[in-house]
Amino acid sequence: MEEDEIVKRAREGDVDSFNRLVEIYQRGVYNLSLRMLGNASAAEDATQDAFLSAFRCIGRFRGGSFRAWLFRIATNSCYDQLRALSRRPTTPIDDMPVELESDRPSPEDFAVRREIGEKIKEALAALPPDQRLAVILRDIEGLDYQEIARVTGSSLGTVKSRINRGRGRLRHYLERYRELFP
Amino acid sequence: MFKRKSECQIVQERLSPYIDEQLNPADRERVESHLEGCPACFGELESLRSTVKLLRRVAMVTPPRSFAVAEAAPRPQPAYARSFRTFRAATAVAALLLVFTFAGNAAHLFKAGPVEERIDRQVTPAVGDGYGMNGALGEEDLEGGDALAAKEGFIWPVFELELALSGAVVVLGGATAVLWQKKRRGIEKG
Repeated sequence: MEEDEIVKRAREGDVDSFNRLVEIYQRGVYNLSLRMLGNASAAEDATQDAFLSAFRCIGRFRGGSFRAWLFRIATNSCYDQLRALSRRPTTPIDDMPVELESDRPSPEDFAVRREIGEKIKEALAALPPDQRLAVILRDIEGLDYQEIARVTGSSLGTVKSRINRGRGRLRHYLERYRELFP
Repeated sequence: MFKRKSECQIVQERLSPYIDEQLNPADRERVESHLEGCPACFGELESLRSTVKLLRRVAMVTPPRSFAVAEAAPRPQPAYARSFRTFRAATAVAALLLVFTFAGNAAHLFKAGPVEERIDRQVTPAVGDGYGMNGALGEEDLEGGDALAAKEGFIWPVFELELALSGAVVVLGGATAVLWQKKRRGIEKG
């Protein structure tokens, strides 16, 4: 079934259709939350909140990119969680490492990838949230600029600028660990 | 020297959209022709490219559980949504009363006069001809509602009433607007 048809049925109140959308997008929403928050349990909460909110509000979805609409809700949930995180300390168990994909899965390679992943996580955490969001949406989630503009409710110019600045800062931060990179 | 530096800055601001092929042909050509003659900017481009490559290697994590929703449960209304309705109704009531007071005053339904005069008269009601210092108002003023009020020795504090109601409308209206904004943001957020 086409996504538009699934969305249409979900808008009519069909829970099964909505849950098919959850199946399609939960990986993307969870990863967006995880990279925005850097904390596994907060990411789980943000994802849960995002899907519940989307379920309650799907009647107000007016067409266009469903992913952009859903990611916008997820982004708001992430900002809520960011505010909550700033008020409470995090535990090491919530600390989720950043893994890198590799076609040479040797133990040495794994150790290096872990280390690079850790640096990427630190670098992302050091970015202002709006730049972090733009970079995650572009380079980790693979959205195009127009879709990012819809998710963030910003102009295309702002999106370009945030991505450029975010990547620039990441580059600057990661430059120190250049010897680790392949 | 200054010109060159400025061009470098301009190009560096466009490197990221250049990598993503988001530049219009004119900007792309400008960046490319600058990169040909500027090793520093070319180095920036390469460095930025490897950062982007690295980010794109970040593995997607499988969610720890399913986020499927259960059957729709009635959503408890947030407290501010209920307050919004109460404040909206209160604002409407206050505004109506204000309009009624204005209209009543204009139609001489109430006996009203300058503030000091009314205070004076309410402290010493129904003295002499019943008008206190306001005898100059004349008999015609006793027609309609004024007559009734004056005969009873009570003068409506219309000015104070209007002032109080205006204040109430402003305060309640402000609170309603704040709650409405909050409610709208809640809807946007879902």
